[in-house]
Amino acid sequence: MSEIAISSEDFGKFREFFYRQTGIHFDESKRYFVDKRLAERIELSGAETFRSYFSMLRFQSSGEELQTLTNLMTVNETYFLREDYQFKCLVASMLPEITARKRPGSLVRIWSVPSSSGEEPYSIALYLLELWPEIARWDVEIISSDIDTSILAKARAGRYSARSVQHVPAELLHKHFTALPGGEYQLSDELRQCVEFTRVNLAEPMDTRAYRNFDVVFCRNLLIYFDDLSRRKAAEVLFDALNPGGFICLGHSESMSRITSLFRVRKFPEAIVYQKPETP
Amino acid sequence: MGFVKRTPAAPGADDQRQRPRDCAGLAQSLDDPDPAVRRWAARDLAACPDSSALLAARLAGEPERAVRQAMLLTLTELADVAAVQGLAACLRSEDVALRNDAIEAMKNLPRALPTVMADLLADDDADVRIFAVNILEALRHPEVESWLLRVIGRDPHVNVCATAVDLLGEVGSERATEALHGLKLRFPDQPYIHFAADLALRRIQGEGA
Repeated sequence: MSEIAISSEDFGKFREFFYRQTGIHFDESKRYFVDKRLAERIELSGAETFRSYFSMLRFQSSGEELQTLTNLMTVNETYFLREDYQFKCLVASMLPEITARKRPGSLVRIWSVPSSSGEEPYSIALYLLELWPEIARWDVEIISSDIDTSILAKARAGRYSARSVQHVPAELLHKHFTALPGGEYQLSDELRQCVEFTRVNLAEPMDTRAYRNFDVVFCRNLLIYFDDLSRRKAAEVLFDALNPGGFICLGHSESMSRITSLFRVRKFPEAIVYQKPETP
Repeated sequence: MGFVKRTPAAPGADDQRQRPRDCAGLAQSLDDPDPAVRRWAARDLAACPDSSALLAARLAGEPERAVRQAMLLTLTELADVAAVQGLAACLRSEDVALRNDAIEAMKNLPRALPTVMADLLADDDADVRIFAVNILEALRHPEVESWLLRVIGRDPHVNVCATAVDLLGEVGSERATEALHGLKLRFPDQPYIHFAADLALRRIQGEGA
C-alpha cells in the first residue's frame, strides 16, 4: 500500500488540470478513487512527491504519463446494452431524422468503432430488431471495426460471459442467446449475421478511406485514450465517414466540442450527440 | 428489408485522392471552388514539409469551417516555425472562431512555440498577450512557469497579470512566491489580483507543507 499522501490542495490542483485536459470532473466523493490512483502512479513513476509528479505530468512533452493516468482513471468494461440511453436515442430521435431525409426503402448505415468483443454492435442490432418497428421498411447495414484482429475473431464468434450479458432482459436473453455449460452464452446466428466486422486503424488514412456514407457512428470510449493530435485526426476521419446530417455518439465522459468544432451538438431528450452539419 | 451486409465500399473512381497528387498540385487545389477538394488538399499537404507558410496564409481567407479545421490539423502536424508564425498572426484576427482555433492549435506545438512566445508576451496589444497566456495554459513546456513569472513581474495590464496568476496557481512552484508578493504591490488597488495571488500562494505553500 502506498504511503504517499495527497493533500486537499494537491487534489484541487490535480482536479482542475485533469478536467481541462480530459473534460472529466471528479467531485469530492471521488477523492479516495483519485488519491489511490495518483499515489500508485507517483510511486511507479519514481517521483518522490506529488509536486514532482505533477510537474512531470504537466510538462512532459510526450504526454505519456497523462495518458497512462487517464487510462487508469477511466477503466472501462464493455457489456451488452451499456449506456443504452444512446440506443434509445438512436431509435427515438436519430433514425426518424435520418430516414426522413432518405428515399423510402433505402439503406441506413451504422458504424460502430471500436468493436471490441462485439457487445456494442450486437446491442445496436438487438435494439433495432426489438424496438424499431421501422426496420421492416429500411435496409440497415451495421459495420463494426477494430484494430485488433484477435478481438475481431472473438466478436465474430459471439460467445459471452454471464457478466457481459447481465443487463440483457431475461426475455431477450432467452430469445437471442443460448446458455452454454460453464456459464457462458452463445449469441444467436441471426444476430451474429447482422454485423459485418472489419479491421481498421483510425490513425491510418489508407485504412479509413473506404469508410464513407455512414448515417450514425458510435465511437465510445476510444478517443479518450488518444493523445491530442491523434484525437483531432480521428475526429476528421469520423467527420469524413459521415453523411451530411449524420450523427456521432461518444462515451459519457467524452466531448467532441473539446476536440474539434466540426460537429454541432444535438440535445435530444434521451442523449446529447454530435452532428455533421447538413451543409458545409 | 432488414439487416444487410456488404464490404465497405471502395472509394469512388471520382475520388481525386486515388490519383497521384504532388505537393504543387495540392497547393493549387487550395484554390478549388469545391470545399471538399480544398479540404482533402489541406489534409494531404501534411505530407509536404514546406507547405506551412502557404496553409497559414490561406487560413484567414478560407470561408469553410471544415476546410479551415483540416488546415489547422495539418499545421499542427507539420509543427514547424512557419506553422507557429502563421498561427500567431491569427491571434490578431477579428474573427473570434479563427482566433480560438489558432489558440487551440498552438497549445499542441510545444517544440515550435518558444520561437514566438517571447514576442507574443511582449506584444503591444494586451489581448494578444492574454491569448498567449491562454496558450500556456495547456502547453507542455518546461519554460511555462518562467514565462508566467515574467508576465506578473513586468506586464502593465491588470487583465494580462490576472490571467497569468490564475495559471500560476496550478503550475507555480516556490520560485513564484516572491513574484506573487511583488504583483500585489504592483496592483495595490486590484482586489482580484490580491485574491488570485493569495490563492496561488496558498496552493504553492500548501503543497510544500
